[in-house]
Amino acid sequence: MIAALRKELLLQWRSKAQLMAIFVFGAAALLLFSFAVGPDAEALRKFSAGFLWLGLLLSSTLTLAESFHAEMENRAMEGLLLLPASARALYYGKAIANWLQLVFLGIALVPVMVVLYDAGTTRIPELILIIALGAAGLSAPGTLYAAMTAQVRSKQTLLPLLLFPLIVPALLASVKATSLIILGDPMNQGKSWLVLLLAFDAIYWSLCGLLFHKVVEE
Amino acid sequence: MIPGGWNFVVAAYSLTAAVLAIYGVSVIVRLRAELAKGSEER
Amino acid sequence: MREDNNRFPQLPWILLGLGIVFLAIGSYIGLFVAPPEMLMGQVQRIMYVHVPTAWNALLAMTFAFVCAVVFLFNSDWKWDARMEAAIEVGVVLAFLLCCQGSIWAKPTWGVWWDWDPRLTTTAVLLFAFLGILALRKFVDDPARRAMWSAVATIIAYADVPIVYYSVRWWNSLHQLQSSPATVSRQFWLPLRMNAFGILFLMTAFIMLRARVGSLRLKQELAPPPQAGEVRG
Repeated sequence: MIAALRKELLLQWRSKAQLMAIFVFGAAALLLFSFAVGPDAEALRKFSAGFLWLGLLLSSTLTLAESFHAEMENRAMEGLLLLPASARALYYGKAIANWLQLVFLGIALVPVMVVLYDAGTTRIPELILIIALGAAGLSAPGTLYAAMTAQVRSKQTLLPLLLFPLIVPALLASVKATSLIILGDPMNQGKSWLVLLLAFDAIYWSLCGLLFHKVVEE
Repeated sequence: MIPGGWNFVVAAYSLTAAVLAIYGVSVIVRLRAELAKGSEER
Repeated sequence: MREDNNRFPQLPWILLGLGIVFLAIGSYIGLFVAPPEMLMGQVQRIMYVHVPTAWNALLAMTFAFVCAVVFLFNSDWKWDARMEAAIEVGVVLAFLLCCQGSIWAKPTWGVWWDWDPRLTTTAVLLFAFLGILALRKFVDDPARRAMWSAVATIIAYADVPIVYYSVRWWNSLHQLQSSPATVSRQFWLPLRMNAFGILFLMTAFIMLRARVGSLRLKQELAPPPQAGEVRG
């Protein structure tokens, strides 16, 4: 599995331009959200967490769709998958690579959020933790659905269509937790949201890993 | 005490009946179509 | 495959008839016989269709999940057809549920949507299952279609409790939690009748729709006829 992961990361590193483009897309989305709300500093700050995560979610459809692009181009999947064990290795390798990409994307979008919405915070480690957990929630089911939809037509619509309803709890929890960090958390509710995120991640990282070989076998 | 509201009640009940009826009819129509297609090829 | 759905070929039609009768009687009682409720007035009557629809929507989704799991183990096409039927019926009921909930919310809370956790979870589930139906439309290979939608169904259904609790927690911070759908004991008769009515209808729909699915699968899996040869 480490080999699979290393291969993935190498692939991602080689397509830095792709990552940059996705970041620009995310930043543009954040900009558009502010146009949707208007120059109301109060409102923008209040909803900044929501905008950040929506932007990240939209960007994730691009990263996830990309992740099986190489396999599809070379029809490489058919050769790789003789055993459920190798399918599992492929899944976790891809899922971790996607996760890392999303984490970097999330962290990169934070300054954009701070500038556009005046939504700064000093609690950086906690913010990074939330981004890590939230991105994990997107990556686990996202990678599985990306594998599925890479093999069909109309993949661009199908991936978000399947993913978005599913990740609602992760989205809710990430937005709430981030929002509490930015706006203040007098009653210390942040922890409960993190626990929810952790539970979501645990369930889906195991469930999707278990089911992945069914999705790629011939 | 919420006054009136009969409109909403009627709306809810008619919607329920309509949706169930329309869906039921669509299933039956599709079933007939599939059965007809099956016997055509015999 | 032709015979196994037809052990009791008349059963769905019987259920259909029974369902209509039960639903008609239950609705009649709910509309005209049961007295208006003390706090909610006439609007309460909506519960006599809303609650039964809710039970049955959840039942349909659960059955879809069971079919998906069974299919994963035995790869029997019958279960794929049943799963597809259950998902479709579940989507219809979930959609109906959201509409009923909306019609209930307007006079009760003054808004068309009150973010009630049960209803919101239903809405999320509605979209999830619609996505699965869309997935099925875009996959041509029957084996893949069946396997993938089974996996997607399992993943979506596993999400239901998580979505429910997250929305409940999310909502409770802003709204005093009030439970709109409590029905006092005197009013159980129309509720039970409608519940059975919709249950019978739903079962009939699933059986008939599964038949449609099986017939279509048979067409898809049948070898193409040789030129000049007569089939059957």
